[in-house]
Amino acid sequence: MASLSSRPRKRRVSGVIGVMALLDRLIALYPPNCNVGTNPNCPNPGPKPDVWAIGIPPSWSFPFGTNLAGQDVYSQIVYGARAAFLVGIGATAIALAIATLIGLVAGYFGGWVDNVLMRLTEVVLVLPFFLILLVFLRILFTLSPGASGGLLVIILVIGAFSWPGPARIIRGEVLRVREFEYVAASRQIGESGFRILFRHLFPNTLHIIIVLSTLQIAGSILTEAAVSFLGFGDPNSITWGRQLADASEAVKQAWWAGLAPGIFITLLVMGFNLLGNGLRDALDPRLRE
Amino acid sequence: MSLIKYLIRRSLYLIPVFLGITLLVFSIERLAGDPVQIATFGNTHITEDQRQRIRQYYGLDKPVYLQYLHWLSELLVLNLGDSFGGGSVSNLVGQGILATLELQLLGLFLSLVIAIPIGIYSAKRRYSVLDVTLSSSALVGTSIPISFMGIAFILIFGYYLNLFPSGGAQSTIQSQYLYGNVILDQLWHLTLPTLVYTFAILAPVVLLVRSSMLEVLRQDYILAARASGLGDRAILYKHALRNALIPIVTYVGLYFGGLLAGAPVTETVFNWPGVGALFVVKTNVLDFPVIQGVVVLITLMTLVANLVTDLTYAYIDPRIRID
Repeated sequence: MASLSSRPRKRRVSGVIGVMALLDRLIALYPPNCNVGTNPNCPNPGPKPDVWAIGIPPSWSFPFGTNLAGQDVYSQIVYGARAAFLVGIGATAIALAIATLIGLVAGYFGGWVDNVLMRLTEVVLVLPFFLILLVFLRILFTLSPGASGGLLVIILVIGAFSWPGPARIIRGEVLRVREFEYVAASRQIGESGFRILFRHLFPNTLHIIIVLSTLQIAGSILTEAAVSFLGFGDPNSITWGRQLADASEAVKQAWWAGLAPGIFITLLVMGFNLLGNGLRDALDPRLRE
Repeated sequence: MSLIKYLIRRSLYLIPVFLGITLLVFSIERLAGDPVQIATFGNTHITEDQRQRIRQYYGLDKPVYLQYLHWLSELLVLNLGDSFGGGSVSNLVGQGILATLELQLLGLFLSLVIAIPIGIYSAKRRYSVLDVTLSSSALVGTSIPISFMGIAFILIFGYYLNLFPSGGAQSTIQSQYLYGNVILDQLWHLTLPTLVYTFAILAPVVLLVRSSMLEVLRQDYILAARASGLGDRAILYKHALRNALIPIVTYVGLYFGGLLAGAPVTETVFNWPGVGALFVVKTNVLDFPVIQGVVVLITLMTLVANLVTDLTYAYIDPRIRID
């Protein structure tokens, strides 16, 4: 039975990698059309918005069409991909670093340390961080309209508020692992608490940390899309969320300008969700039959 | 421990958490600097003297800890102060919260009613064609941005098919009411946003019910129930579901807070007069009293949702009450 039930999982993980590789090849084969639009990140931007290229439906020269500002949707998708990965991976690195540290320390030391850290976790968990993120960004862009660090602020705030959920799960796993005999054995031979923590407990919770990371990447990308959609995003960088927001204002004239970013966000988030599910099935021995 | 005692202990425990959060919310906003200075930044028509008078009016010239204590004591009598744009914050927020809850609770109810049977079916017929179809669609559902789904719905059902209004909570003039009836008109406006909410909550719950049921169905007591000759239906709905519900309750409880915080997007897409849309409008002009009011209100509702979650645990699983 084991081989039968593990087959769909393997197919899923390799399927995700396949889709990502295919997207990568597609972009390489079909470089963005930089002669159109005011795309500031384009290596060779056109002199001015192309008034003749306003609101063109998908065609051979503009595979995803152009928006009502005369910008090529495909070029923006390519540049938005960079922002999506940056936000997803950056925010996740911060969140999971905090979560791992708190989860390990609270789970291993227990007692009042655990109590204090878990109460703190609960407070942060209840905070509506999406609302606070919007306030932070509006203050930042009001005080310095040309601020270039908008994406960085989004990454920092998502990271700083997303750790409580993962921290609780990692703590739970530590509580389980620390009861194992090899932990008691290392304590017997006189290893220090920190050595046990980082040499024994950390590697044995790593599989959970990896799974939580992929899911967090998916969540962070969706959060950035929502922030940009509401018009609170970084005005100086191209993101898929912002494309969606721009397109939604004129959706009846040029629906294709919103279709491509919406589909790309969904695909990327789904890719990371699938990766997380696949990794969980592959790495968690308790799920094996 | 009796249920009443459990309830009292959990509620008392919420007080320090709530105080901690009010302090955090208050200081986050003060960290950015003087609220009046920020809200009027770049406005050349306001003189320093006028700014000082605004500060005096809102009590912002006093020391910060006095401002906090004053705000907190007023909060106890549900007075959230005055908005920078004029009008009482309590009124603004009070009007919005009903519209928000109407949408949230309806969406939550509908999605649970639909998601639980689907999840159970998927777990029972694992890897069947229908299971693969349903769980893959649920996966797409968890990955799609709610704004994208909302716009697509408005474009298809509101614009091309012209079946539903594309925004607002009711028609502006009486002659536009659906069949001339206010209630029907409001329900008509409610349909699209509710559909979007239901889909957004539905998808993750289906996946969770499925995996939770799969976990439970593997346990020995299910085998024992089957060996004792119980039918499929009794095993699934009476024995398995009750144990599988615990992670689902956890998720829904946690998710409810997230939903409230996610309200800005849906409410903005559908132009729905709730607290989410209010928050977006007021954050754009940095109306700090309203921002504080909405954040505290949503936090409070999340805490209440958590309390309800804990009580539901105790109801579903008597073992939890003993701790």
